[in-house]
Amino acid sequence: MTHLTRRNLMKTAAATGLAGALGSRLAFAADEPLGITLVIPSPIGDVGWGHALSAGLDLVKAAHGDKVKVTILENIAEGPDADRIMNKTVADGNKFLIAGSFGYQNGALQIARRDPSVTVLHASGFQVAPNFSPFAAKYFQGSYLLGMAAAALTKTGKLGSVSAFAIPELITTINAFTLGAQAVKPDIEVSVVWVNSWFDPAKEQEAAKALIAQKCDVIFSNAQDTPSVIAACEEAGVYAFNLNSSMKKYAPKTYLGCISTDWSPFFKASVDAHLAGTFKGANTFLGVTEKVVEVIDWSPDVPADVMIKIKEIEAKIADGSFSPFTGPITKADGSEGVASGASLADAEIIAMDWHVKGVATPLPK
Amino acid sequence: MNAIEFILAGMLAAATPFLLAALGELVVERAGVLNLGVEGLMAFGAVLAFIIVYHGGGHFLGFVVAGLGTAALSLIFAIVALGFRANQVATGLAIGILGQGLSALFGKTYESLTVKGLPKLALPGLSEIPVVGGLFIQDIIVWLSLAATLAIWAMFTYTKVGLVVRAVGENPKAAHAIGYSVITVRVLAIAFGGAMAGFAGAYAAVIYTPLWADGMIAGRGWIAIALVVFGTWLTGRVFLGACLFGAVSLMALAAQATGLDVPSQLLSSLPYLVTIIVLGIISADRRLLKLNGVASLGEPFER
Repeated sequence: MTHLTRRNLMKTAAATGLAGALGSRLAFAADEPLGITLVIPSPIGDVGWGHALSAGLDLVKAAHGDKVKVTILENIAEGPDADRIMNKTVADGNKFLIAGSFGYQNGALQIARRDPSVTVLHASGFQVAPNFSPFAAKYFQGSYLLGMAAAALTKTGKLGSVSAFAIPELITTINAFTLGAQAVKPDIEVSVVWVNSWFDPAKEQEAAKALIAQKCDVIFSNAQDTPSVIAACEEAGVYAFNLNSSMKKYAPKTYLGCISTDWSPFFKASVDAHLAGTFKGANTFLGVTEKVVEVIDWSPDVPADVMIKIKEIEAKIADGSFSPFTGPITKADGSEGVASGASLADAEIIAMDWHVKGVATPLPK
Repeated sequence: MNAIEFILAGMLAAATPFLLAALGELVVERAGVLNLGVEGLMAFGAVLAFIIVYHGGGHFLGFVVAGLGTAALSLIFAIVALGFRANQVATGLAIGILGQGLSALFGKTYESLTVKGLPKLALPGLSEIPVVGGLFIQDIIVWLSLAATLAIWAMFTYTKVGLVVRAVGENPKAAHAIGYSVITVRVLAIAFGGAMAGFAGAYAAVIYTPLWADGMIAGRGWIAIALVVFGTWLTGRVFLGACLFGAVSLMALAAQATGLDVPSQLLSSLPYLVTIIVLGIISADRRLLKLNGVASLGEPFER
C-alpha cells in the first residue's frame, strides 16, 4: 500500500512537472511525520526570544497534529557545536530545520546546499537559497510606537537602551525608538549601552543601572532573553519595555509594554509549503502588517491623548501608509540619512549601520 | 548620581562573586591542588540557592544549602583527584561540566524567574560622605566577604593552620614527614573552596541579579581562577584584582551611558586588559613570583 502511494505520488509529481527530487520529498512526507527541529542559542524560559520561537510552532502542531514531530534543541552555542548538532538532527531524518540565531547561518546554509530535500528557516540572516529562507521581524515598527509613549512619560528627557550587539536589527530598533520619541518631544536624547553579549544577566543589569545613574528614566531592554533589565528598572522605579514576549509580571508597576513577535503564521505557511513541495527560499521581513509584530501590554500610565496618536500611527504602519524611516532624517554625525519625503526600502533598513541624530552614544565601528 | 558615584557604589557588589570564588580557589591552590571546576560549582551553588529562596526558605538557608551542596560536589573531585590520583586538570574540568549540567537540570523549571534580593546596610557616618558614601552602603554578604578576605589573609600570615596549608602546597613530602596528613588538609581545602564557589554563585543568583537563568554565571568562575594566578596567590592582590575587575566593568558601562566616544568592544575588553596589566606590573618581579608560586600545584601526592 505504501509502495503504491509512493508510486502514485511520483506519477502525480511527474505529471504536474515537478522535479524528481520534490517527488521523493512528497513521498517521505506521506510515509511518516515531518520532523521539525528548532535550534536556539539560549534556554527556553517563560519569556524571551527562545520562548517566542518555540511558541510559534504551536500553530503548526495544532494544524498538522500527528503529521509533524517537533524537536526543540535549546542552549546551543553558536559555532562548531551548533553545526554538529544541526547536522545530526538532519541526519536523523528531520527535514525541516529552524536555525534560531544569526550565528548558525553558515552551518545551516551548508546543510541546505548539501540536501535539497531539507528546508531551512534562519533567524536574522541575509543569505538566501532555494530551500533556505532568512526571517526577521520589523521590531522597529513597534519601538517607534514605544518611543512616542516614552517621550510622553519621561521627566528628564533622557531615554536609555541596554543593547546586545551592534547589529543592524538592533540599531534599527534604537533609531526608530529615538525617532518615535522625537515625534512627540523633539529634543529627546537616547543613550545606549552595548553589553556585547547575548546572554549575561548580571552585566545587563549593571548596564541598566549605569543608564539610570545617568538619569535615563525609560529603558529599552533591547534583545535580552531574561527579565534582568526589566526587574532592575522596576526596583529603580523607571519605565522599561522589551522585545519578543511580555515581561509584565516582573515589573507590575513600571512595565511600559512589549514588542511581541508571533511567528506562528510564518512557520505554518512555511511548513505547509514544504509539505506541498512548493517551498521557495526568500528573504522574509515581517512586521505589524503581517501581524508578526504587535505591541502588547501597554502601560495604563501612557496619557490618553498620546495613546490615540500611537493608535493612529499603528494603523498607518499596518496599512503601509507610514514608515518610521521617512525623511527628513539626520544621522548622528550631522549628515543626511534620509532625504525629505523619501522612505528607506526594506533592504536599506536591514543593512542600517548608522544612528539617527539624538542617539547620544557613538556607534561602535 | 554621576558616573563616579555609580562606579564606587557598585564596584564591591560587582566584585563579590569573583572575590568569593577566588578566595576559595586561593586556599585550594595554596594547598597544592588545582581545581578548574569553579565555573560549574558556582552554577550549581547558584541554582541551589535560587530554588531555596524561590520557595521561601530565605537567603540564609539558601547560602547554607548552596555551600553544602557545592562542597559535596567538590568532594567528588577530591575523591577522584586525590584518592585515585587522577589528572587534576581533567578532573576539575569534568566536575565543572557536571556542575553546569546539574544546574541546568535542577534549574529547568525555574528558568528566568526572579526573587527579591537583600536590603543594603549603610555604615553610619561613612555612608553620608559625598561621592564616596555609596561605597559604604552594601548588602550583608559584601561585608561578610570583606571579612572573609581579612580572615584568610590573617590565617595565612599569622596562624599555624595557614602555615600547614602552605607547607602541604609547597612540599607535601616534608609536611607528611613531620606528621601532617597531606590528604586530609587537601580534602578540607577542596571542600572549603567548593563552598566558597557555591556562595559566589548564590550571591549572583539570589542577591546580585537576582534571577535564575541557565548560563548566568557567564564565565565568572574562569575569571576567578585567573585572578588567583594574576594575584600571585596572595590574598591582598586577589582582593585588589577582584575590585579592579568589578570597577572597570562598571566603568566600561558607565562610559557608554555618558556617551563617551570609545568603541564599546574596547570598553568590554577593558576589565580584562586593566586587571592583567595592573596585576602584571605588581608581580613583575620574577624572583618574588617564584617565591609566592605554589611548588607542588597540580601534582598528585603519593606517600
